[in-house]
Amino acid sequence: MPSRRAFIAGLVAAAGSPALSWADAGAPSYLAAAREADETFALFGLDAAGHDLFRVPLPGRGHAAAAHPDAPEAVFFARRPGRFALVIDCARGREIRRLRPPEGRHFYGHGAFLAGGDILATSENHIDSGEGRIGLWSRSEGYARIGEIASGGIGPHEIRAVSDDLLVVANGGIRTHPDSGREKLNLETMSPSLVYLSMSGRIEEEVALDPALHLNSIRHLAVAPDGQVAFAMQWQGAPSDGVPLLGLHRRGGPPVLAEAGLAEQIALEGYAGSVAVSGDGRTVAFTAPRGGRLHVFDAAGRFLAAHRRADICGVAPGTALSAAGFLATDGLGGVMAADTDGLRPRAAPDRAWDNHLVRVGQAAA
Amino acid sequence: MRRALVATLCLIAGPAVAGVDAALDEHVLPGTARFAERAAAFEDAAQEDCSAEALRPAYHDAFDAWLGIAHLGLGPLEDGGRGLAIAFWPDTRGMVDRTVRRLVADEDPATSDADAFAEVSVAGRGLFAAERLLFDADYAGYAEGDYTCSLVRAVAKDLSRMAAAVASEWREDFAPLMREAGSDGNTRFLSEREAAQALFTTLVTGLEFVADRRLGVPMGSFDAPRPQMAEARRSGRSLRNVVGYLEALKELARTLSDAPIPQTEAAFAQALETARELEDPVFAGVETPVGRLRVEALQTEVDAITQAVGSEIAPALGVSVGFNSADGD
Repeated sequence: MPSRRAFIAGLVAAAGSPALSWADAGAPSYLAAAREADETFALFGLDAAGHDLFRVPLPGRGHAAAAHPDAPEAVFFARRPGRFALVIDCARGREIRRLRPPEGRHFYGHGAFLAGGDILATSENHIDSGEGRIGLWSRSEGYARIGEIASGGIGPHEIRAVSDDLLVVANGGIRTHPDSGREKLNLETMSPSLVYLSMSGRIEEEVALDPALHLNSIRHLAVAPDGQVAFAMQWQGAPSDGVPLLGLHRRGGPPVLAEAGLAEQIALEGYAGSVAVSGDGRTVAFTAPRGGRLHVFDAAGRFLAAHRRADICGVAPGTALSAAGFLATDGLGGVMAADTDGLRPRAAPDRAWDNHLVRVGQAAA
Repeated sequence: MRRALVATLCLIAGPAVAGVDAALDEHVLPGTARFAERAAAFEDAAQEDCSAEALRPAYHDAFDAWLGIAHLGLGPLEDGGRGLAIAFWPDTRGMVDRTVRRLVADEDPATSDADAFAEVSVAGRGLFAAERLLFDADYAGYAEGDYTCSLVRAVAKDLSRMAAAVASEWREDFAPLMREAGSDGNTRFLSEREAAQALFTTLVTGLEFVADRRLGVPMGSFDAPRPQMAEARRSGRSLRNVVGYLEALKELARTLSDAPIPQTEAAFAQALETARELEDPVFAGVETPVGRLRVEALQTEVDAITQAVGSEIAPALGVSVGFNSADGD
């Protein structure tokens, strides 16, 4: 019996689709959405140095994108509560599909490709129950909805592929309802978790924080080459509490919380925006747009450096040329190389970069 | 063709950014110099007589000067956690109390050496550590020769040292860096607009901090007001601080803007009038429905200032509030 992947690859071949690659889109290293000076929105492909390669107009502000591992396709998610996601052909610069969540669900703003890019997974809210769902979509069937699994918690936000059929999910723990926008409905009882999910919906591992930190919403994720997961949090208590906002987790072990000194922790305003692991796996960086900080840690969670930049939010691993570092973006248009030593401006177009910077061509192992 | 050329030139020239120089010369540099002077005077007074009764006037003077620059959360005040070491508030985890108690209980020898004291937790230094020692009954009655006396002197000396460093770093390094925004090698401010944006952000953040925390923290919720969390309530300064912060933010708004700012002026005048008529020096009134309503009215008026500066000053500077920091997702 052929493997699922070979079967689907056969379907694609049979359909005669031209097999375009990211090279056909100019071989971008990164994707990022932005608001332009004229208040319109667009998705940009950036080279390794952060310079523009392509631009695709978008209908509104988005949150994050998922890049297909091989084909020049990006799935771009609306801000939550999201009612649509766009599949964009980055080689031809146009929208090729518009995904809508099934009745009674909305997107939370992130997605990930599994199974070598055949399956798109999306984080969703089952509105009536408030339970988290992961929607599954088949790319080879024109991104048809093929099923959904429970996320194992409330408010799943970022999801990442750990391997071809294993997802790690950040269940933020905060229940929201689209009728009340982003109002948080369950702060007293919220209980965020990090869940490893197989595509069949089995919870392979669930990681919770110390109950004293139950207000620390686990929101954003990065996966190291060796499988260690870095998670960034948003504290729902007082912004001046200075609690840790970064955690590291290896399968089977306890989570390790990582923090800087007290004054730096308080300066973060209880809010982390994005997290990334460097290409060599040795350093982890997260951004704090409210505190205007990028913090760098080693893979064991030891604090290495704090760099300042107003409204910094997007961060992704550097390319092969800067495997020890990162690329970061901010709301003033800045694109910066980042590592333990500092931030170095690479470009500063007149636009406001959105929350997340997405590395292209970093398929799961 | 000519029209296209003009349009291009306009884009390159961008909005006026003259406000940065004025804000630096008329607001930031005088403010940081004044705080350094007052903090030095507080240190001198402490050396002469460490008793609480003798020191309180100099303490109030230093705190008043701090109100003029507390919102400048960029550059020298964010280096090494200096802003928090000068004013550790809001202290949501009760760390000032714990740290000062520990220093006194252990008779921590860090007081005898300025470098060692600079390594003490930020919660055990600055204006709020001094407030405990000078105003809290738990430490009352200490005398020359007591450990508490040497701790008061160490806190004052450390505060004066930090204030002097903040003033000189603004003058020598950070103000020039802002003036040369966009020049080659200036990795901090990539364009003139970024310098204006940074100062505008301190204005908006300062206003939000007054509304959401300086007023919002003691207000708590209707069912659970927290007057004991009011800033500087031990020294009876909570409302005086709010007035001082608003005065300083008004000065920043005026210097940042080239053009008249009638909405902003009116909004500041209204909030300051309400604050001055509040007659609730430490926001103890938030425990009664009427008292709470009055503080809430002031909070609403401070929010109105934020709206006014956003619609009046931001467009003139070509800046906006944080795209990501204000998004929250």
